[in-house]
Amino acid sequence: MKEIPWEKRYDRKGFVAISGMAAFLAACGGSTTAEEEPAAPATTAGAAKPEVEDTLFYYNWAAYVNDETYKRFEEEFGAKVKKDFYASNEDLLAKMQGGARGYDLVVPTGYMIQIMADEGFLTEIDWSQLPNVEKNLDSKFRGLPYDPDDKWSVPKDWGTTGYVYRTDLVKERPTTWREFFDLTKGPYSGKVTVLDGIPELVGSTLVMLGYSFNSDDEGELEEAKQELLALKPHLLAITSTEYKQMVIDGKAVMALGWNGDGAAVAAEKPAEYVVAEEGGEFWVDAYAIPTGNEHPNAAHAWINFVYDPEVNALETSYTFYGSPLKRELLDGVLDPEILSNTDVFPEPETVANLEPNSVSPKGTELRDRIWTEFKAA
Amino acid sequence: MAVAAPRFPARRRGAIRAGAGGPRYPGWLALPALGYYGLFFLAPLALMGAVALSERVGHVDFVYALNFENFKVLWDPLYGEIFLRTLRLALFGTVAALFVGFPLAYYIARYAKRKTLLLMLVVVPFWTSFLIRTYSWLIILDPDFPVLRALKWIGVIADDFSVLYTPTAVYIGVVYTYLPLMVLPVYAALERMDWSLVEAAEDLGDPPPRAFRRITLPLAMPGVLAGSLLVFIPLMGEYLNPVILGGDKTIYAGNLIGLQFGSSRNWPFGATIAVVLIAVMTLAVLAYARLARREEQYGG
Amino acid sequence: MGKRLLQAHSLLVYLFLYAPIAVVVIFAFNGGRQVLNWDGFSTKWFGEALADPTITEPFKNSLLIASGNAILACILGTALALALARLRPWLRAPIDALVYMTLVTPEIVFGIAALMFFVQLGNWLSLGSILGLWTILIAHVVFNASVVALIVRARFVGMGQNLEEASFDLGAGPLSTFRQVTLPRLAPAILAGGLLAFTFSFDDFITSFFVSGAGTTTLPLRIFSSLRFGISPIVNAAAAMILALTLLAIVAAYLVLRRTAQVRRQAALIPGA
Repeated sequence: MKEIPWEKRYDRKGFVAISGMAAFLAACGGSTTAEEEPAAPATTAGAAKPEVEDTLFYYNWAAYVNDETYKRFEEEFGAKVKKDFYASNEDLLAKMQGGARGYDLVVPTGYMIQIMADEGFLTEIDWSQLPNVEKNLDSKFRGLPYDPDDKWSVPKDWGTTGYVYRTDLVKERPTTWREFFDLTKGPYSGKVTVLDGIPELVGSTLVMLGYSFNSDDEGELEEAKQELLALKPHLLAITSTEYKQMVIDGKAVMALGWNGDGAAVAAEKPAEYVVAEEGGEFWVDAYAIPTGNEHPNAAHAWINFVYDPEVNALETSYTFYGSPLKRELLDGVLDPEILSNTDVFPEPETVANLEPNSVSPKGTELRDRIWTEFKAA
Repeated sequence: MAVAAPRFPARRRGAIRAGAGGPRYPGWLALPALGYYGLFFLAPLALMGAVALSERVGHVDFVYALNFENFKVLWDPLYGEIFLRTLRLALFGTVAALFVGFPLAYYIARYAKRKTLLLMLVVVPFWTSFLIRTYSWLIILDPDFPVLRALKWIGVIADDFSVLYTPTAVYIGVVYTYLPLMVLPVYAALERMDWSLVEAAEDLGDPPPRAFRRITLPLAMPGVLAGSLLVFIPLMGEYLNPVILGGDKTIYAGNLIGLQFGSSRNWPFGATIAVVLIAVMTLAVLAYARLARREEQYGG
Repeated sequence: MGKRLLQAHSLLVYLFLYAPIAVVVIFAFNGGRQVLNWDGFSTKWFGEALADPTITEPFKNSLLIASGNAILACILGTALALALARLRPWLRAPIDALVYMTLVTPEIVFGIAALMFFVQLGNWLSLGSILGLWTILIAHVVFNASVVALIVRARFVGMGQNLEEASFDLGAGPLSTFRQVTLPRLAPAILAGGLLAFTFSFDDFITSFFVSGAGTTTLPLRIFSSLRFGISPIVNAAAAMILALTLLAIVAAYLVLRRTAQVRRQAALIPGA
């Protein structure tokens, strides 16, 4: 158990992260890149590649990988994929902190990668095993503020945090967080769910009040807490994994959630995913290889494998989350409806209003306390 | 499960145990178990105690110290509320299990022909995965499922009645989970009952409730106490029922602890709550032991 | 009249007890994936469950752990129970308290404490992460040994110890006394304790969740993953099959016991046997 002055390190990094992210967001979106490298959908043929082990232990968000992708990977490399799931970044961190070793591949969100790297939970990425990534990764997703040297992670996908509602079960057409709160406390009490995630819930509330998603000001957080406590009695459930099905089933008419799930709901039932006007979270999920892994080559092989445009299209058409590959590579392989779906690939203007998660330790502690009170209410 | 009646009354047994008798099984037979407990039970708990005194640092870590901050934090009325809520759950669960389980045990002990079969039937659900059983309640309590639909159609309950993910669902789940743990000890106690005594009393003019109170209840008491303990104690630390049936919306003591070791990542605080909870439970058990001993000395 | 009331009450209780079981079994035959929509009768999930290594492997793990548990818990618990009878009260009381503590500690508390302990142990022994099958087994035994100890002790104390005394007086050592005198009479209690230990271990979730580490899955952990993250409906089929298996085992055991009892009764009738 170490003693390190975290405050100093995080404040500086946090500032760099936010300003870097802001610049990144401004440029991000559906525009094409200046580099005109020919797409090379290389699969695995490569000289002197390290041998891929026979197993890959993949610790991931649930329903985040197309079954077809697993199958193709297993066929191609003869490696079995063992899967385990977590429901939030904090759960992942808790597991790592608790001493869990033996996972080969995890997929934390950006801010969590920074935390895990600092805690020494990650091993460095061996880019020599990732030719597909080198060729196909959109340059906008390189050197992101949470991992400026691309040492620890390779982007998987990106998205936003907002809410989805059934247009056939909800008369109103909300566009703000305030409306989300009011409708939940009002006509749809008992039929709304929220994510089981501290940053998303507290951050979105802060944004609704006009503050920063990452605020660690005690006064502002206190206000957010009061809002959340008032909201709690009207919630149906607090879940990050079941809300998609609940909204599809109509058990819930509205759910605070991520854009991919929102788009998935909209694909099956009349529904609308909303990025609130006040703002919200913009996030990037990335592959990382934790310490204590036993099959690093398999992990690298997987990352390289899903950067093949065809495989990547499989993934995007399943998860409905934005792909970090160069846009023109996806043109031929991804369903144009998905490619042009602004829920899956949000517009730059939408994203410019959002913030990435980058909370200081003080902010985290305050949020944890709010979370306990919120859950206990 | 028939238990042989003790050969000697309590006091004489004690006299023999004092070592006045002949050779016995050697005391060192206890050592393997004790060593095991020491290493794999006491050591972890001691570690937990040390963590309760440590300080949180940064996002994830903590530092061993002599910090009683967390105990002070625990004094907040918010946590008192959670503790009371847990106490209510445990008490309700115990009383409900008693109300539901005692008559069943009584029926099997007194009137049933195929006692073993009926007892087995009580236990068999235990052999299905707890998780699956509990998730099945989500199905049964679902407003779209036939059960609630029928009740609504008959008019017993309102149209928008939903008990899913509410404390009520948790209460139902809890009684369901712990019912066998109440039925079995009560039955074990009642099984030794000589029912002819009760019948005689009734023949002699005692109304059934009186005969019950004077004859049956004293004999059943040890079983009731044992069953109550078996239900109350785990209920104080209940974790899964509130998560599954309560939609993770209402937290009890067990959930609070789990939260600190999960998303809240505040191990020192979690350890503090754990230490306090164990202390409370130990008191409860000591109280039970006191009661049980008194039963043994003065009771049937 | 009271009897009728009790009968009705008992019937309702059994209905209450078996409602979820019925749901589990019925929906194991549901052709569709969605639980609330009946999509025709089908047995395909049973086949899929049997063929799915992500189900059969955890099932084997759970069996191994539970069996190991039953054996270890019986040995430790029975030895403890036998020794406890002899000890002076001032020695017995703290040990009793210790045994009760293992039963009283909430599982979530012990699971986490055990996790912390094993992680530290791994660090000290420079072995890295030692979490796995063995740590699950070890953690389970803590609780189960106490269960066995309590059950065996209750029976042992209730049996009266005249026969043991006599045996010792006649010069038999503890081992033979145990084998010939105590064990036969204690057998039902040890068996009951072992069965209970097996059941608790097989169905355990919380402790297993914390001390299983990354590589090991037990059946409850697999089920939880499936239910929480909505991956597949074959767990219902798996649970139904296990239930059927357990029932078969019980029926078989019952028949065997009845046969042995019959044989023994008949043997007792033969003079001079």
